[in-house]
Parts: sequence; structure tokens; C-alpha cells
Amino acid sequence: MFLEINGIQKSYGTGDARVDVLKGIELKVEEGEFVVLLGPSGSGKSTLLNIIGGIDTSDAGDINIRGESMGHMNEKRLTSYRRQHLGYIFQMYNLIPNLTVRENIEVGAYLSKQPLDVDELLGTLGLSEHQAKLPNQLSGGQQQRTSIGRAIVKNPDILLCDEPTGALDYQTSKEILKLIETVNRKYHNTIIMVTHNDAIRLMADRVIRLRDGIIRKDEHNTQKVAAEDLEW
Amino acid sequence: MVKKNPLNKRFFRELKGDVGKYAVIFVLLVLLISEVSGYLVASTSMQRAYDESFEAYRIEDGNFTAEKKLNSGQRKRITELGVSVHDLFFTEWQTDSGLVLRIFADREEVNLVCVMEGRLPERLGEIAIDRMCAKNNHIEIGDVISGDGRSYTVTGLVALSDYSALFSDNNDTMFDAVLFGVAVVTPEDFAHFSADSLHYRYAWKYDEAPADEKEENTRSEAFIKELARITDLTGYIPRYLNQAIRFSGTDLGADRAMIEVFLYIVILILAFVFAITTSNTIARESAVIGTLRASGYTRGELVRHYLFLPLFVTLIAACIGNVLGYTILKDWNAGLYYNSYSLTTYTTRWNATAFLETTVLPIVMMLVINLVILTRKLALSPLQFLRRELKRKSKTRALPLNKRIPFFSRFRIRVILQNAGNYAVLLFGILFANFILMFGLMMPSILERYEQRLPENMLCNYQYILQLPAGAVDEEEKLEALFQMMLYERAVSTENTDAEKFSAFVLKSLPEGDYRGEDIMLYGIGENSRYVRDPLPEGAVVISSTFAEKFRIGEGDTFTLTEPYGDQRYDFTVTGVSDYEGAICVFMPKEELNARFDLGKNTFTGYLSDTPIEDIDEAYLGQVIDIDALTKVSRQLDRSLGEALSVMNAFSLVIFVTLIYLMSKTIIEKNAQSISMTKILGYTGGEIGRLYIVSTSVMVVLFVLISLPVGYHVIKTLFRVIVLSKMNGWIPYYIGFDVYVRMVWMDCLVYGLVAILEMFRIRRIPMSEALKNVE
Repeated sequence: MFLEINGIQKSYGTGDARVDVLKGIELKVEEGEFVVLLGPSGSGKSTLLNIIGGIDTSDAGDINIRGESMGHMNEKRLTSYRRQHLGYIFQMYNLIPNLTVRENIEVGAYLSKQPLDVDELLGTLGLSEHQAKLPNQLSGGQQQRTSIGRAIVKNPDILLCDEPTGALDYQTSKEILKLIETVNRKYHNTIIMVTHNDAIRLMADRVIRLRDGIIRKDEHNTQKVAAEDLEW
Repeated sequence: MVKKNPLNKRFFRELKGDVGKYAVIFVLLVLLISEVSGYLVASTSMQRAYDESFEAYRIEDGNFTAEKKLNSGQRKRITELGVSVHDLFFTEWQTDSGLVLRIFADREEVNLVCVMEGRLPERLGEIAIDRMCAKNNHIEIGDVISGDGRSYTVTGLVALSDYSALFSDNNDTMFDAVLFGVAVVTPEDFAHFSADSLHYRYAWKYDEAPADEKEENTRSEAFIKELARITDLTGYIPRYLNQAIRFSGTDLGADRAMIEVFLYIVILILAFVFAITTSNTIARESAVIGTLRASGYTRGELVRHYLFLPLFVTLIAACIGNVLGYTILKDWNAGLYYNSYSLTTYTTRWNATAFLETTVLPIVMMLVINLVILTRKLALSPLQFLRRELKRKSKTRALPLNKRIPFFSRFRIRVILQNAGNYAVLLFGILFANFILMFGLMMPSILERYEQRLPENMLCNYQYILQLPAGAVDEEEKLEALFQMMLYERAVSTENTDAEKFSAFVLKSLPEGDYRGEDIMLYGIGENSRYVRDPLPEGAVVISSTFAEKFRIGEGDTFTLTEPYGDQRYDFTVTGVSDYEGAICVFMPKEELNARFDLGKNTFTGYLSDTPIEDIDEAYLGQVIDIDALTKVSRQLDRSLGEALSVMNAFSLVIFVTLIYLMSKTIIEKNAQSISMTKILGYTGGEIGRLYIVSTSVMVVLFVLISLPVGYHVIKTLFRVIVLSKMNGWIPYYIGFDVYVRMVWMDCLVYGLVAILEMFRIRRIPMSEALKNVE
């Protein structure tokens, strides 16, 4: 199994203020799978994503990627794990303001021994003509496309997307989703996307519904809908 | 192939984008490093040249002045003592402008002359004079100087190797390059001076040089005993005690520790400025940092990234600073020494220590401070960066403020609390800058006050110190001694009714640490003195107020003095302090002084007088202490320090303006979003200025006010250390009210300019700023 999540628990606060965010999550993800984590605010989906990404820690349980346990990784090893295996896309694009589009993507390429070709990727992302622009010269969609480019240029095994369309309008959101779909198809990355947009589940291979820190439903999409045909 | 980190591309843009910050720090570093490098190179090169000058210019091992010219027999007996003897006759000539020139015949054997400009005299009526005194008296080559019926054409400006500091008398507290100078004429010209105007000074050189100063001391003491048997001496100065030769050598590089500390303090402040501004950048870029960390960038990579610019700016500034230091600033610093001393020429020497101290150490300091702070700052987890949780404490509670405090004041208090780190650096910087400013403004104030108070504070207008002929105290030739004493008493008797006899004895204070010890005059004062009004009953030991201040002693305390050239020590208990600032001295009843030092019951060694005494034989006149003699210190310090003090003042203001600019800029930038939001809410530019700029203004004024009393005490300590280590005598510490007023005025003016700049900065913040990155 590519990614195994075993009994992950996480809580915040102590005593009466204690909130159990994740209550023993069990999940197995195949390589190249496109998984959508759905759930209302506070359901624990972003926390789970962060624990998978190694930027947050669980109170109990373990995550194995390609058979290697994350629980035994120290800070240095975790960084190396993220460097080798992960790409991150956030709701806010978090681009470096004084680097151009191309350079922001190169920031990701630097981390990989075998990065994707930046020019080709710029073409795939539809950013070739904007590659010399600074982030403040771009629209929200273009900025998010750049952040996707930064995440996938290192050809990560897993692409973690935290509400990537949360700050975008309908049309732009669809463009971004189409792009993620293309990336998944073209580069075969495993994608785990957190969203509270129910419509997005239709384009995933698998949909995990979370509520109150537990998986309420784990379903496989037998009939995926192309991102272009999504409506909400 | 090693991949280039694409983040590196930010460096140039970061520099360009924050050019104000980097430019002012860069300029300050260049100024500082070039000055320190120039100082170190100049002082060490000159120190080396000075050390080598003993050999190169064949500087004497000592000199003595005989009452009469030595005959060939005497010379032979002296050379049999293991020395070579060389004529160093001189006469003193006063020019019409009041300058006293000590004129020698050009030397060929010892104490050679270094021609700095022009040439040595070649014919009658030509003279080459000391460069320093020529400069101070605006004398140039080609000028004709006249006085006392003679005139000379100046052919050259020179440095006499035995007069690197222009002490006219070795007992003087300070040299005097304004009213005193040395000069050489041709031997033929010198022969025209009448014999009775000549001082028969001879230089000696040991046939075998002493191994160390201790041996030099022993040999010198033995030598004077033998010498006194051969000729009547009126002066004797071994080289190691000759201030005209040694003073400049001890001063060269003497400020090194202070200058280095100064450099490191400024580097320390700038390192913190970098650390704080970089921390603010990190806070601003926290989401980006979180993303990079989440993507796999290591903490080390990011620390190195944020460290690069501070180190790069420091490195470039250090390189340029060193180039300037070795070229322009070296000459300027050498000029400061040449402004005080009559030093011979020097050659610039490569100085590895200077390079280390002005390049490597600043970079290491910058690296360590920024590394520690940035490593701490970047130690947070990626998630904390993404969530902008940059405080280590989870949630700090807001300081409760009374609602009765007006809203604007509460707002300002919050701004101040939010920027406590910035203000801490600002406080440190303002204190430091104002210490330098205070020092620069204080010295002229101290010297001026000293000169103003001295005439009112003098014991009398003239103190004549008489010189007992050497033979008058010869225990073995009692008859001759008695005859000499009778002659002396007749020659020094006066009809002047103002004259009051006193006896004097010179002892030396004990050296301690950097303090070398100095001659202390003990005055034996007769009963009912009209000049020393402090009562001097039996057993009285009254010290001057400067003595009390310098050695921090008072009534009831005991102090110890020693013989200048012996081991005998004397203890005294202070019975009173006299309000006298003219010298470090002790007043005792005359009879007691004479008895204690075996001077003979009726012996006197000088006169105090309000009017000049003109009827005593000048041959027995050792020293006249008048207002000119007493103000030598202040005159010379004023002349020597003038330029350096102006630079200090300018530099302190540069530090002040740099820090204020950087810190206020940082505060405004840190609050850009809030400022933008207040604009959206409808606050006017003036109101926003009152919120953010007044907060900094209040802190600046507070820090400036704090710096005044703190500075007073810090400078007092510093001043004491400097005076103790650098000069004999004492100048009372004093900071006039006008110094404080000028400091506050200058600080406020400089701050006012920065505040105007910041007002413009606030105006430029767009309202759209508030809408950025709102998560």
C-alpha cells in the first residue's frame, strides 16, 4: 500500500477545553489515487492533511508511506520526507512576492533531484506568457496556478491541496480543478484534496467524508465527472 | 552540477526594494570600518616608524645640561663612563608673535632632523622650524620671522627626532606646540649667538645599550652621580623619562582599545537592527515560509537565506571600508597625530590585525547575532508559520489599560508595547550615540571652563621655582657647597614686595594600572601667607581640589608618595582640601616641609608673586608657572582634539539618525496593514501620524532624556580613565547646561527630519494594503 493511516488521533487543549479533532482515523490510499476529504468546518480534514504532510503531529497512531513510518521520523527526516514526497497547495497562494512566476516555480524545482521541465509545466499551467510577472501582477487564479506549479514541479508522490479553490470565483475555481485533474492524469501524483465544496467530490477517485473527527463515509467514485462539467 | 537556490534571486530585489534600510546601514558600516581601519593602519604604521626612529635618527639615550660648557678634560672623563657625548647646545628666541623657538645647530651625530617639507638651512639667516609649531603659528616656507632684532627666512618644516612632543620643560603637565617650538640653523649661524644666551645641553649615548628599562634606570642613576662630580648640572633627563621623546610613543595607538570597543558596539547595534528588521520580514512572509517549510525547505536553508543580506552588506562594507581606510582615512588619522605631534615620516604597513578586527570580526559578530536570533525565529513549525502563530507563548494576554486613559493614548501605549524589541534597540542606540555626542560636546566645554576659572583660581600670577646649583648640596665638598649656597641666595634675593618665599619638594605618585604616576609638588608655605589662604597649622597637609578629585581622597585619608628616582616612600594624612585647580599639589607649613626633606630650616626654593620678579638671576630660575604654563593642557588638548571631536559629533548624529530612521521605518512597515485599515475607516493622515509617529516621538524624547544623566555618569568614568592614562595633572569634569541643551536640540532636530520622512511613508501606504493576505 502506498499510504497507510492507522489510528490517527489528535486533540487540542486540555481539561474542559479539550477538543478531540481526530478520533482514530484509518485510511489506505493507493498510488495515483485522487482522494477528496469532505466535511464541514471543524471536522478535522485540514488537521488530517497537515499530519499526512508532516507539518503537524498526531497524539496517537501512525502514518506509513511506502512502508516507512512517519512516527519514527525526527524533524530533519520529516523535512526530507516533505522534500522528497510532498507538494503543497494552500487556499492562500503564499507566493514569494519578489520572485517572478517562473522563479516561484523554480523554488519548488530546486527541491527535487528530477524536477519536471519548467517550460513545459508553464505551458501546462497556461502561464508561459506570464512567467516574467511578479505575483502582484497576476489574478487570483493565475497566482493559484503558479502555486500549483511550485508544488508539482518537483514531481511529488503526493500532492496535498488544502481548499485550493477556497478563495477563487466559480470560473477560476473550475480552471484550477481542471488543472489539478490534468496534473493527476499526466504525472500520476497521488492527490489528497481538502474541500468543503460537495461538488468537487464528483471528480475524485475516492471521497472520504469526515465529521467530528471520524470517517463517516469512504466511497469510491465509479463514474467520475470531469472538472469542466462540475457545477455548484 | 550544483543547483542554484532560486531564492537567491530575491537578494538583489530585496536590496532594491528596501534600499533605504540597506543604504543607511551600509553607509554607516563603511564610515565606521574605514575610520577604524584607517586609525589602526595609521597608528600601527606610525608606531613602527616611531620605534624604528630611535635607530634611524640615532636618538639620544639621555641629555644633561651643564652650567658651563664642558672642557676637553671633562668630556674625556665623561666618555670614560662608557658613553659618547654630543653637543646639543641651544638658545631660546622669542619671535614678535610671542612664539618661543628653541634653536639648535643642525645635528649630524645624534637626534637627527627629519625634513618634512622644503630643505634644511644652508646659509646665514635661514632657519628650518618644527612643522607642528609652524602650522599652529601659520608659518610657511619662505616666510620671514623676526624678533629681538633678528630675522630668519624659513627654508623648511622639520621634525626633530628628540622633540616628537613639544615639551619645553620635562616637568610640564602637557606639551605646547602653540607657543613653543624647536628649530635648526646652520652651525655657522648658531655660532653667532652670544655665549651667555646658550644652554649647554649634551646628549649621551651608551657605548653598550642597556638591555631593558630597569638596567637603563640603574645605569642612569649611576651616571648622574658620576656626572655631578665632573660638572655642575642644571638639567638631567634620561631618555626613558624624557617626555619630549616618549610622550608621543605612548600615545600612538593608545586609543586603540576604545576605538575597537566603539566599533564593536556599533556593529552590535547594527547586528540587532538587522536581526529585528529581518524578524519583521519573517513575520511578514510567515505564510510563504510556512509553505516553503511544508514543501521541504529545511530550516537551515531559510536561516542561510535570511542571513545572507546582512552578511553580504557587512562584507562589502568591510571591504570598501578597508580600501578607504588604507587610503583616505589612513592619511586623515595620521593627520590627527601629525596635528598633535612632531613625528617623523612613516611608511604604511599592511596590518593583518586591522584587517581581522575590521573585516573578520564584524562579519563574525553579525553572523553570530543574526544566526542566534534567526535560528530562534525560524525554529517554529511550518504550521505555526502558516497560521502566523509567531509568538512562542501561545497567547499573551493584553495588558489591561484603564478606560479613562484617552483612546489615542491607549492606542499609542499598545503601539509601544507591540514594538518593545524595536524600542529596546533604539534605547541602546540612542544611549550610545548620545554618549559619543556628549563626549564630543563636553570636551570643549570642560576646556573652556578650565581656562575661564583658572585666572580666578590661581594661587598668584607668577610662581618662580628656583634651581639650586648642583654643587650647593655636595656633602663631600662642604666649603664649596657653602660658597655656592651663598652665591645662590644673593642671586635669588628680590626687592619685589609682592614676592613671598616658599619651599618646594617634588615627589611622585605611585603608578597603578594604566596610570604612570606623576610628579607632585609639595609646597612649604610660610605663616600668614597672602597667597595660600588655607590655614596651615602644625601638621597640616592640605591637598589641592584637583588632587582630591583625581585620587578620590579627602580629609582624614592617607596617601603615599615616593621619591622620583628612589625607593623612599612618604605617607601623608590629609587635613584639608584647598579649592585650587591649577595643579595637583600639597600645601604644608614650610618649616615642616624643610625638616621632613632635610632642606635646611631657612631654605626656600621659590617665590609666589602677583607681579613679575625681574631682579633675580635667570641662571637660577628653574621654572615660571604663570597663566600660560597652567593653560598648556587645555590649549594643547583643544588644538589636538578639535578635529576629532567634530568628527565624533557628526558620527554620533549619523548613528542617531540611522537608528531612528530604521526603527521608525520598521514600526511603520510592521503596522502597514493596520495603518491602511485606519485609512479605510476614515482616519486622516494627521490622526494616523499622531497614533504611530507620536508613539515613537514620545519614546525618542524619553530615551534622549534618560541618556543625559546616564551619559553624565558614563562619560565621567570614561573621562577619568582617559585623563588618568593620558596626562599628568587633572582637569575637573564638568558638563555645562548648554551641552545638554545642544544635545537635546540636535537630537530633536534630527528626529524631526526623520518624523517628516515617516509621515510621508504613512501617506504612501495604500488602502489596498489592508486587503492583502487576509486569511
